[in-house]
Amino acid sequence: MSTQVHATLSEDQVEQISEDLDEPEWLLETRLEALAALEDLEMPEVIQTPGRKWTNLDALDYETLVDPLDYAQEKDRIDAEGVDVLSWSDALDEHGDLIEDHFGSVVDPQRDYLTALSTALFSAGTVVYVPEGVDAEDVKIRTTMNSQSLFNYTLVVAEESASVTILERQTTGDDVDGDRYYSGVVEAVTGENAYVQYGTLQNLSEESYNYQVKRGHADTYGTINWIEGNIGSRLTKSSVETRLLGDSSESQIVGAFFGHDDQHFDIAARVWHEAEHTVADLVTRGVLDDAARSVYEGVQDVGREAWDTSSYQRENTLMLSDESEADASPKLIINNHDTEASHSATVGQVDAEDMFYMTSRGVNPERAKNMLVEGFFVPVLEEVEVDELREDLDDLIYERLRQ
Amino acid sequence: MSSDQDHLKETDTEARFEFKKEEKSAFEAEKGLTEETVRVISEDKDEPEWMLQRRLRALKQFQEMPMPEGWPGAPDLSEVDIEDIVPYIRPDIETRGGAESWEDLPEEIQDTFDKLGIPEAEKNALSGVGAQYESEIVYQNMQERWEEKGVIFCDMDKAVQEHEDLVKEHFMTKCVPPSDNKFAALHGAVWSGGSFVYIPEDTTVEMPVQAYFRMNSEGMGQFEHTLIIAEDNSEVHYIEGCSAPKYSAFNLHSGGVEVFVGENAHVQYSTVQNWSKNTYNLNTKRAICEADGTMEWVSGSMGSKATMLYPSTVLKGPGATDNHITIAMAGEGQDIDTGAKVYHNAPETKSTIESKSIAKDGGRTNYRGLVHIADGAENSSTSVECDALMFDNESTSDTMPYMEIQESKVDVAHEATVGKIGDEDVFYLQSRGLDDDDAKQMIVAGFIEPITEELPIEYAVELNRLIELEMEGSLG
Repeated sequence: MSTQVHATLSEDQVEQISEDLDEPEWLLETRLEALAALEDLEMPEVIQTPGRKWTNLDALDYETLVDPLDYAQEKDRIDAEGVDVLSWSDALDEHGDLIEDHFGSVVDPQRDYLTALSTALFSAGTVVYVPEGVDAEDVKIRTTMNSQSLFNYTLVVAEESASVTILERQTTGDDVDGDRYYSGVVEAVTGENAYVQYGTLQNLSEESYNYQVKRGHADTYGTINWIEGNIGSRLTKSSVETRLLGDSSESQIVGAFFGHDDQHFDIAARVWHEAEHTVADLVTRGVLDDAARSVYEGVQDVGREAWDTSSYQRENTLMLSDESEADASPKLIINNHDTEASHSATVGQVDAEDMFYMTSRGVNPERAKNMLVEGFFVPVLEEVEVDELREDLDDLIYERLRQ
Repeated sequence: MSSDQDHLKETDTEARFEFKKEEKSAFEAEKGLTEETVRVISEDKDEPEWMLQRRLRALKQFQEMPMPEGWPGAPDLSEVDIEDIVPYIRPDIETRGGAESWEDLPEEIQDTFDKLGIPEAEKNALSGVGAQYESEIVYQNMQERWEEKGVIFCDMDKAVQEHEDLVKEHFMTKCVPPSDNKFAALHGAVWSGGSFVYIPEDTTVEMPVQAYFRMNSEGMGQFEHTLIIAEDNSEVHYIEGCSAPKYSAFNLHSGGVEVFVGENAHVQYSTVQNWSKNTYNLNTKRAICEADGTMEWVSGSMGSKATMLYPSTVLKGPGATDNHITIAMAGEGQDIDTGAKVYHNAPETKSTIESKSIAKDGGRTNYRGLVHIADGAENSSTSVECDALMFDNESTSDTMPYMEIQESKVDVAHEATVGKIGDEDVFYLQSRGLDDDDAKQMIVAGFIEPITEELPIEYAVELNRLIELEMEGSLG
C-alpha cells in the first residue's frame, strides 16, 4: 500500500511545501521523518468482526488521489477579541516556540499511515492561540478545497482559564472534477481551567475521501467539547478523542451524521479518563438513507488511577432504507472500580407510534417522517454553542430530507 | 526416533499401548500435533473411516489457521504453546480411567468439593471408575424412561458407533465446522468424549438432562464434544458441569458444543463451570435454530486462567428466538473474556442477551458480543444488557459489543453499565448488623439473581455457593 503513494512522493516535494510556508528546520525534519516512516506504517485501525473489515481503507487509490504540490484552497479565518487565529506561516513567525512546544504533542505525527501522510504534506495550517484568561466566542475557520488533495492541520492552544468556541467548516469548491482526498488533523491543548468547544461541519463533495483525527488533552478543571457533524464525502474515517489528564477535567463528544446514496461514515469517539473526578459524555446520532453505511466506535477508557469517574455514552441510529447498514461498537474499558459508567446504543426505524400520532393529526406521512428525523437530531443540535454551526447543520439536514 | 515412528504404524493395540508407556519422550519431542497422534486416537476408539478423515482434515485446518490474536483486549494466550499440545495429551492417555481416589485430586479441588457440601457419594462419582459407574446407573434409570420415547442420551464415542448416521450428518458439518476458529479445528482433530442427545419429534423431556463431568475419565476429556439434536416440536433442558470444578491435568480445554433446534423446538443449555485456575478455556458452542424454535443459553463461568467463549446462535428460521443469560466472575489472575453471538438470518427473529460480571482481586471480565442482523431479517429485535460490578481498583471490566445491522425494520438496543459495589448499600447492610463480607455477598447475590432464577434451584444454590467461596478468597 505504502509504496503506491510513495511512488508519487518525494523529499523535494516536502521540502517545497515547507519552504512555501517558510518553516523552521525542526518542522521540515518532522515532515521528512513522517515521509520516511510511510514505508513502515500501517493504515489506521478499523474494526473487524469475523469475516469482515468494517471499513476498507486499503481500497483507496492514494496514488491517483494525492497531488502534493497542488493545495489550492480558500481559507477564511475569523478571530475574536483577544484570540490569535493565524495562518501557519504567520503563526510560525509570531508563536514559533509555542508551536514547537505543542506540535505533535497530542496527535502522534506518525500515528498511522494516513496521519504521517498528513504530517508530511500539510499546507493549510491554522493556529488558534487563546492567551490566559481570555474569554472568546465564535472563532471560525472555513476551508474550501479547490485542489485534488488537501492536508489541513489545526493547532489550538487555550491557556489557563481561557475559553473559546471554534467552528471549522470544510467544503469543496467546483474547480476539480473526480475523486478528491481531504485530510485533517486537529490538536487541542487545554490548560488548567480552560474551556474549548471545537465544532466541525464537514460537507465535502461526495467524490471526496476524508480522513480526520481530532484529539485533545485536558488539564485540571479543563473542558474540551467536540462537535462532529458529517454530511458530505463519499467515505469518511474520523476519530475524535480526548485524554482527560487533569483532575476534574471534562469532555463531551457530540456527533451527528446523515448519510445517503452510497456514503460511508466510519466515526469514532474515544475518551481516556486518566485523572480523578473526570467526566465524559459521548452522544452520537445518525441517520442513514439509501445504501449509506455507518460504522461507529465509542470507547470509554477508565485508567487505573482515575478515581471517581463518571462516563456516559449514547449512540442512536435511524435507518430510513433497507439498503443501508449501521454497525456499532460502543466499548467500555474500566480499570478503576470507583466508576459510574454506562453506554447504550440503539438502531431502528422512525418510531411507528410517533408516525401514527403525527399522521392522525393530519400530517402527511412524508412530512411526518421528515419532522421526526429533524427532531431526532435536536438533542445533538442543542449542544452546539456556535450559532452558525447549529444553523448550517440544521439547514443541511433539512435540505437532505427534501432531496 | 525412526523406530518410534515404526511403532506408531503398528496396528496392534497392545503394541500401541506399549508405545504410549514407553515412548513418551518421543512424543514430547514431536513438534506440534501430528497426524500419527490423531490416527492413534481414532484407532483407539475404533472409529469409522469418515470420522478419521474428518479428524485429519480438521488437523490440517488447525495447522494452517492463525491464533486468535490481534483482538482488542484479548486474553494473553502466549502460554498456550501449540507445539506443546502433544506432550499435554500424552499423560492423560496414560491415566485413562481417571484418578484412582479422591485423595489423588489436587487439594484445591478437594477443598472446593468439601466447601460446596457435595455429598460423599457424589465426590466419589467424580473421582474414580467405580464412582463413574455409579453415575452411569443414574443415567440408566433415566434412559429407560426416555428410551420408550425414542430419546437417545449417551456419550459421544458410543454415539459414533451406535448412531452413526445421525452423527455423520451433524458432527462438525453445519454448526461448528473446524474452520470456525483455530481451537474448533484443534477440537475436531483430537475430540474425545462428551454427550450425544437426540430428542425425537413432538417429545418433551420434562427433567433436565444432566451431564456430570468426568474427571480425566476419557483420556482427553478436555476436548469433549456435545451434540444435541432436538427435532421439531421437542423440548429439552441440558445441564452440564453442575457445580463441579472440572479438574484437568493440562492447561488447555477446547470443547465443542453443537445444538440443532428444530421447528418450534425448545432447547435450554445450562452450564455452571468452575475450571481449575491453570486452565485455558477456549470453547466453541453454537446452536442453529429453525423456524419458531427457541434456544436458551444459561451459563456461569467461574474458573479458568483465561476463558474465550462466546456461545452463539444462528436464527435460521422465521420466528426463531435466542436468549442468553451469562454470569462471569474473575478473581486474581483470571481473564474471563466471554459474551454471546447471534446471527439474525430470518424475519421476525428475536434475541435477548443478559450478561452480568463481577471482577475482583485484579481479575478481568469482558463482555464481547456480536449481534448480526442480515438484510431481509425484517421485524427482528435484539436487546443486550450488560452489567458489571467491580470490587477493587486492581480489577478490570470491559464491554466490547459489536452490532452489524443490515436491515432497517429492526429494533436494536444495547445497554451496559459498570459500577463499583455500592458503599451505601454496604453501609446499610452493616448498620443492620451484617459484617463487611456478608454484606458484599448479599449484594452480589442480589446482583446475579436474574441469572440464578433461571437455573433449577439446586444449581442456583450451588452457583451462589461458588460465588460465596470466591468472595471469601478461600480458594486459590
